[in-house]
Amino acid sequence: MTTVEQLALYRAMLLIRRCEEQLAKSHQRGLVHGACHTYVGQEAIAVGVCAHLRRADVVFSTHRGHGHALAKGVPPVQLIAELYGRARGCSHGRGGSMHLFSPEVGMMGTSGIVGPCILQAAGAGYSFALMKSDSVAVAFFGDGAVNNAAFHEGLNLAAIWKLPVLFVCENNQFATEVPFAYAAGNPSVASRGAAYGIPGIELDGNDVLAIHSVAGEAVARARRGDGPTLFECKTYRTRPHAEGMGDYTYRTREDVERWKTKCPIERLKVAGGFATEEIDSEVQHEVEAAHAEAEASAWPDASTAANHIYAAPRRVPDPPAPGERVVTYSQATLEALGAEMAANPSIFVLGEGIGVRGGNFKTTAGLYDKFGAQRLRDTPIAERGFVGLGCGAAMTGTRPVIDFMFADFVLDGVGEIVNQIAKMQYMSSGRLKMPILLRGCIGIGHSAATHHSGNYAPLYAHFPGLRVVVPSTPYDAKGLLHHALRCDDPVLFLEPRELLTHKGAVPEAAYEIPFGQAAVVREGTVATIVAIGTMVPKARDAADALARDGVSVEVIDPRTVAPLDTDTIGASVAKTGRLLIADEGFALYGIGAEIAAQVADRYFDELDAPIKRLNGLHTPTPYSPPLEAAVVPDGVALTAAIRELIAE
Amino acid sequence: MPIPVTIPRLGWNMEEGVFVEWLKADGDPVKPGDAVFRLEGEKATEDIESLDAGTLHVPANGPKTGDRLAVGATIGYLLHAGEGRPTPPAPRPTGRGEEDTGASESAPARGGSVSPLPSGRGAGGVGSSSDTAVTPRARRAAARLGVDPSALIGTGRNGRVRACDVTSSKTSAKPHAARAVIAARMMESRATTAPVTLTSLVDATNLVNLRAQFKAAGGDVPSYTDILFKLVAVALQKHPALAARWTDAGIVPAASIDIGFAVDTDAGLLVPVVRDVPALGLRAVAARTKELIDRARGGTLSARDMGGCFTITNLGAFGIDAFTPIINPPECAILGIGRIERRPVMDGDRVVGRDQLTLSLTFDHRIVDGAPAARFLQALAACVANPAAWVSS
Repeated sequence: MTTVEQLALYRAMLLIRRCEEQLAKSHQRGLVHGACHTYVGQEAIAVGVCAHLRRADVVFSTHRGHGHALAKGVPPVQLIAELYGRARGCSHGRGGSMHLFSPEVGMMGTSGIVGPCILQAAGAGYSFALMKSDSVAVAFFGDGAVNNAAFHEGLNLAAIWKLPVLFVCENNQFATEVPFAYAAGNPSVASRGAAYGIPGIELDGNDVLAIHSVAGEAVARARRGDGPTLFECKTYRTRPHAEGMGDYTYRTREDVERWKTKCPIERLKVAGGFATEEIDSEVQHEVEAAHAEAEASAWPDASTAANHIYAAPRRVPDPPAPGERVVTYSQATLEALGAEMAANPSIFVLGEGIGVRGGNFKTTAGLYDKFGAQRLRDTPIAERGFVGLGCGAAMTGTRPVIDFMFADFVLDGVGEIVNQIAKMQYMSSGRLKMPILLRGCIGIGHSAATHHSGNYAPLYAHFPGLRVVVPSTPYDAKGLLHHALRCDDPVLFLEPRELLTHKGAVPEAAYEIPFGQAAVVREGTVATIVAIGTMVPKARDAADALARDGVSVEVIDPRTVAPLDTDTIGASVAKTGRLLIADEGFALYGIGAEIAAQVADRYFDELDAPIKRLNGLHTPTPYSPPLEAAVVPDGVALTAAIRELIAE
Repeated sequence: MPIPVTIPRLGWNMEEGVFVEWLKADGDPVKPGDAVFRLEGEKATEDIESLDAGTLHVPANGPKTGDRLAVGATIGYLLHAGEGRPTPPAPRPTGRGEEDTGASESAPARGGSVSPLPSGRGAGGVGSSSDTAVTPRARRAAARLGVDPSALIGTGRNGRVRACDVTSSKTSAKPHAARAVIAARMMESRATTAPVTLTSLVDATNLVNLRAQFKAAGGDVPSYTDILFKLVAVALQKHPALAARWTDAGIVPAASIDIGFAVDTDAGLLVPVVRDVPALGLRAVAARTKELIDRARGGTLSARDMGGCFTITNLGAFGIDAFTPIINPPECAILGIGRIERRPVMDGDRVVGRDQLTLSLTFDHRIVDGAPAARFLQALAACVANPAAWVSS
């Protein structure tokens, strides 16, 4: 390596060190408002690896990510301003120390959650492979992540699909305050690579030249398509876990002082034997100037606090009339998926048995033959892994479709949805899109029992950043799926399993039904039923039966739970004065509670009776047919509930 | 405890009645047997007698004339000495096992759970007695229409005033209960009888002369209908099958010749009955029909005034000749009387002017066949042609 190259590494490490020292001081002064996790002592790793990365390569990082951001090219002023909570910050003040986003330079975010960066890097690798790019993805993570499922699932997925990823473990010996020696049955992280069939290399994390050398080979290997590599860089942080925290309950001052003598920056300077005064001064000035600029920069506008939760909505043409052709619900969604995959090569599907088999519910039947294994990708049973991978893929230009089969199955990976996928557009101030479709079956029936019967719409609808769709007809399912596959927001597409074989009129050509537009299924005058999913056909039948007795009931299907079309529901209540919300899911804290609250708030003067709900019982789903039938509202219960409401 | 004054059920199928008026005023003492209020039921208007004693308390939002009230609805209270005004009725216990209380261990009922939401209003029974629960929609409708909703009787749960209560209070022309009863009975007749109508043109010249003689004699002049009462009674005595009644157990002959007649009133068609017509002279029949017509139009017929074995309906005053009247079940037949008109009639080779009348007899073919019905009509025609012999008896 030339002296110039060595000086570049030196300068990069020093910049990180000086910035961290400045941030530590600023934290004491109160300029840093939240947590501040410094990278002091570990600079060689970020610098040694990132020296090989291009702008198009991507880095996913941890809560201790200042060094990664700087090494990947985030200007110091943007880092510092972010910790100061300023609009100038790399995340425009939405993130702070643990949420540093600068996708422009390939810094795809630091995370307050340990583990997801591993999966997201694998997802970026999947994008690059699918798009035939030679870019690579790097995940930096600490020793605290390697006993986490994300490590296991992410490394395994990257291994079986030979993804262009570097997994860089910075083993600084403590997960916050828990020693790695205590937490690991196998104290060698590098040796774990063998468990997944990938190279695992142990490195001196304070030796930037060694890291630089080996990283160069691993990056080249990834670019060649030869698959991932695991590094274990043994190092030490010489400042506390976070600024302001006590440091000597779990380690000794002597240990810290001993490790300070192994400073990677000093080590390179001694090894290189070069003069650095000019660089030192230059870096010092650069950091001071960055600090001054950051401190003087403007606060974000408070009125923008809720911006960038979702992508800007698209206007779509009005959907066509259903026409004459009749197909099943499953066929309708299959048509939409097939058509969108043909039109958009960035769409790929992940799931168990969705490849050659065509999906447990025939969600991908016939598509494997058309689009091949890379776009119809069977997965191991690793829901957290492939959902987190999907997140990384969506961040890097592809459009994953995750097929849960049963929506119950993804609960082990739900943190990836609510903590990562839902928040990514917001945390990146709208600079990242999150075009991911998460689909699965919901609902009770056919003795599927409690791990194959859940109704999860309210769970997801609770969180900002997600679209939650519950189509009840083949026509709606097709139009909503087309829209989901063209919108840039993450969509939970929850298909009531008992409706998959229902038939209905569906146009053959593609069309979109936008989110947030309820359907008036049936017009009526004396009461409104808002029905969700499986309750829609039951409500329609009940309304038909009541009509024969002269009772005219309006049926509304919101179609999307988030966003919720309160306008259409309210207009109906203004007409009828009475509202019943029918949902197979739970009443407590459920969709009905939300609709009732919104209607009571906005349409109080229209109400001629208390708002009522009809729900499934608040119980896990039993197996035996009579028990199962007892927990689901049927047409008789629905009719009785409407009659009760009208008598109010 | 205050004793509620409620809407009684006046007939087997009565679900609601129309409040006519209070017969006692707020604060009046009431003894058992006192008539307290007047109610229009399915068939007639009744004076409702109290079974209890107390001081009548009529709430500010008590019923008004013309209000339709469900059977069982409370319209006032009888108070004992020292009792204050009663609180509004306590919430009706729903008794539904499927109420979702939020406790997951509550016993599940078939078919899911109905969970009430808090209505946002203090629960009934704890508020002040002057509180009338009014839905938001009703409150808005009341403001728009200038109605005081607290003055209304609510038809909702626990007496809650709903929008329909407000709008109906502004509707002046209410359909009477009688209309619904008529509708139901007409449909019942159509559905349960096998009606056949026979018409016969009869010579009424002597009938017209007879009535002219009564006119010339002065005093109350019997109507043609009155005269026909007597003639029909004669024909029924000769042909009692036409006075029989259909029951599920069999055909029951009439115990006495009680003949009803259709009276057109503001509240619709009513059919009061003249009892035992053969026992009455023509003037007695005329006096009786006049009284019944007055009471029918005054809304004071009672159930005792209804229910005969045969009915007469006269549309002659409207220029109607023949029509197909509908049987009044469980009677066997009904006679329609057309107009009396002087027409040219062949008398040998000569054309002469004669008074003519068309009789329309609808009978239930389940009870009698065509020939006996025709014989009845023939006998009646003979009586009409020469009435004098029959009206004096």
